[in-house]
Amino acid sequence: MATTTAAISLSSDITDSNVSVSNTANLNTAGTTTGLNTMTSVTKVLSSTDDVDLITTGSVSTTHAYVYINNPSTDNTEFFHIKIGAAKGSSGYDAETIGSGTEPDEEIGRLYGGDWMFIPWDVDDDITIKPSVSTDMTVEYMVFS
Amino acid sequence: MATTATITLTSADIAGDPVNVSKTATCTKAGATTDLDQTTGLNRVHLRSTTNKVLLAANAEGNNLAAKVYIINKAEDPTLYVTITINAQTVGKLYGGDWMFFPWSQTDTAADIEVAATNWTSSTGDIPVEYALFHEDTDFLTNA
Repeated sequence: MATTTAAISLSSDITDSNVSVSNTANLNTAGTTTGLNTMTSVTKVLSSTDDVDLITTGSVSTTHAYVYINNPSTDNTEFFHIKIGAAKGSSGYDAETIGSGTEPDEEIGRLYGGDWMFIPWDVDDDITIKPSVSTDMTVEYMVFS
Repeated sequence: MATTATITLTSADIAGDPVNVSKTATCTKAGATTDLDQTTGLNRVHLRSTTNKVLLAANAEGNNLAAKVYIINKAEDPTLYVTITINAQTVGKLYGGDWMFFPWSQTDTAADIEVAATNWTSSTGDIPVEYALFHEDTDFLTNA
């Protein structure tokens, strides 16, 4: 089995006593010390503000995976909505407002230019993406499973 | 004041060629180059509940603002995991030693980040979890 590691180095001087965190995780199959052996690495260019599938459950054959998503844009104002749940397509997303009971199911966060995210994924629902602008936006992602 | 997060993904053998990805993000306010200026600092809790507990409570004013969340399962036993959910939507399981770092929208008033020590038993011992939130909300978030 392969050996794959994910390391994070997090530092912040917001507080008087700085936060400095470094940790390394071995990416293993669920609850074991056996390394994952499958990797997908994709770069996509999206050209509309539709909410579309980025990573589907059908693309992964396990129930435990790790997902890295990167917004390589240098424009801080452009972002991706990253969500878990069914893709909303070209309608139905922006119309859903806080407190309406019809919020998107479930937006994790907005990935602005220069931001990345790394999460475990239980592969129960698709991961979808919705660009903030319809001009070409590039997204990079990797799935380890 | 700056907050930076660097990820390094490496593997010598998961593909025919080595994998080595490194990326640093400077955590800024939404759509701006201004640094985030608020944080909970680093926190540690010991979980012993198999049902969801609120780790970070959503704040409606957080919608359209930037927030970054770091969570790590500090258990040394790789079989012990915590389940991470947002507004009851399961995101994934953090096994012992695993961490996650992600932006948090708080688009829902119910978009709390919750954790459950799903396979905890009295014989496994508590599951230590550490977390930090970096954000720009006008109101301080209430931690449960």
